[in-house]
Amino acid sequence: MKGGGAALALLWLAPASLLLAGWAAHDSRTIECNPSPRISLSNLNGKVLVRGWDKPQVRVEYTVFSPRVEVDTELLPPTGPADKIRFTTHVLDPMVNGSEQAADYTLDVPMGASLEIRNPQGSVQFEKLQADAAVEAVGGRISASDFSGHLGARSVGGDIEIVRPSGRVEAYSITGNLHFVSSATAKLRASTTSGSILYEGDFLPGGDYTLSTYSGAMDIVSPPSASFELRAKTLRGKLENSLRFIPKRRSASPLYSGNSLLGTHNAGKATVELTSFSGSIRIRPQ
Amino acid sequence: MMAQENRQPTAECGRFDAELMAYLEGESRPFVAAHVRECVFCAVVLADLEQVRFLARQMPLAEPSPAVWANVRARLEGEGLSRPKARNWDWLHALRALANPAPAGALASLMALGILLTAAPHALQQPETTASLFSSASPAEVAASASQAPESQLAHMVADLEATYKANEKFLAPDLRATYAKGLSSLDTSIQECQDSLRKEPANTLAHDYLVTAYTQKAEVLATALEFQGR
Repeated sequence: MKGGGAALALLWLAPASLLLAGWAAHDSRTIECNPSPRISLSNLNGKVLVRGWDKPQVRVEYTVFSPRVEVDTELLPPTGPADKIRFTTHVLDPMVNGSEQAADYTLDVPMGASLEIRNPQGSVQFEKLQADAAVEAVGGRISASDFSGHLGARSVGGDIEIVRPSGRVEAYSITGNLHFVSSATAKLRASTTSGSILYEGDFLPGGDYTLSTYSGAMDIVSPPSASFELRAKTLRGKLENSLRFIPKRRSASPLYSGNSLLGTHNAGKATVELTSFSGSIRIRPQ
Repeated sequence: MMAQENRQPTAECGRFDAELMAYLEGESRPFVAAHVRECVFCAVVLADLEQVRFLARQMPLAEPSPAVWANVRARLEGEGLSRPKARNWDWLHALRALANPAPAGALASLMALGILLTAAPHALQQPETTASLFSSASPAEVAASASQAPESQLAHMVADLEATYKANEKFLAPDLRATYAKGLSSLDTSIQECQDSLRKEPANTLAHDYLVTAYTQKAEVLATALEFQGR
């Protein structure tokens, strides 16, 4: 009898827990704003997608996965077109954790917006956006495609991938990998401690590119027509190059040992600095 | 501070308050040390005060005009002795952290770190000029001697931050804790390897740069972790 009772209870409880596991609430809102609003989003987990559009409006769609998670929207000024918009995910019950804390957001924002996004354990994705954006994650991945403006991306453990950026890009991670594709940015600074860096594409004339890893590998894959001055140095890593550089005279008394390469490729219009401690640096044609 | 409004002080917190000043003045107060292991709020207060005290010690470092530093940095970068810092928005996060008590200590550390990192090029620049004028010391010797003091201060500061973090890491979500642990472990490895390199080759500027970068990054990671703990 006892076993039968337990089985009966399970029969009741299983569908209930399944229902709760699939719980989700969706909402959306359109907010009138000035043409270049400041938008901040503070989330804990989940996916954040931000896209640019030409309207002086912010449209937000979000989904939460627990009845004990809420999204708060704050507008400044409270009436009329907003100058500042803040979205904050609140977990109302400390017992809610893991994926239940998640909130997925999709934001459409005016081109020219200023964004500050924090999503520690979730991902952040920018698509076709012209903005100034600072994004911070801890374990989550950050990606951007066709982003113009200033993008600052930082993640402790998450990967960062930036495709066809233009404007200024700064990307930092500790253990995450960094990947840059078809960059049209004139200023790129990127570093990772144990992650790798892959740069695929040309360098803009007059551009300034500084890439650094500690122990991760760094790969630069550029077209044979790329025009840049190179300063590459690694203390303990290998330095492999298969592009044709005109070597430069070494700077006087460099205060480090290790491998280095100073040279000019084609007319040397861009400036590229690559540094690693023990990670290998490979430079090869596309 | 936000957390203060929700604080429910206990009798032990009252005793902590009463003994705190004496403890900070160097008197033996075992209760203070024991209490901060139990009470997050008081641990944060103590960490904050220790950071403020540390900053106060740095005050005699006069700050020349920004133009002077810009010239110094430009010259060091031009000579490959320093890599440019590009962390304009890190300080914004640190400022926002003032809303919580835990990161306030971290912010104090980052401020001190900023002072040190600004002071470090100064320390490098001064002896280098002397060397070029009198040619009495090799650039290697100059760089090695100039780099020692800021590093030890950085190490001390990061150790303080780490102690606060360790005392409170149980409040972090397990997945966040694991990510931070991996990142901190990676930075510890790089710190260790750079220190080993500098022991063998004290004039190695690249190892020195990476060591300072690793300490700075560790301070930043700990500061953000403390910010999440404070939520």
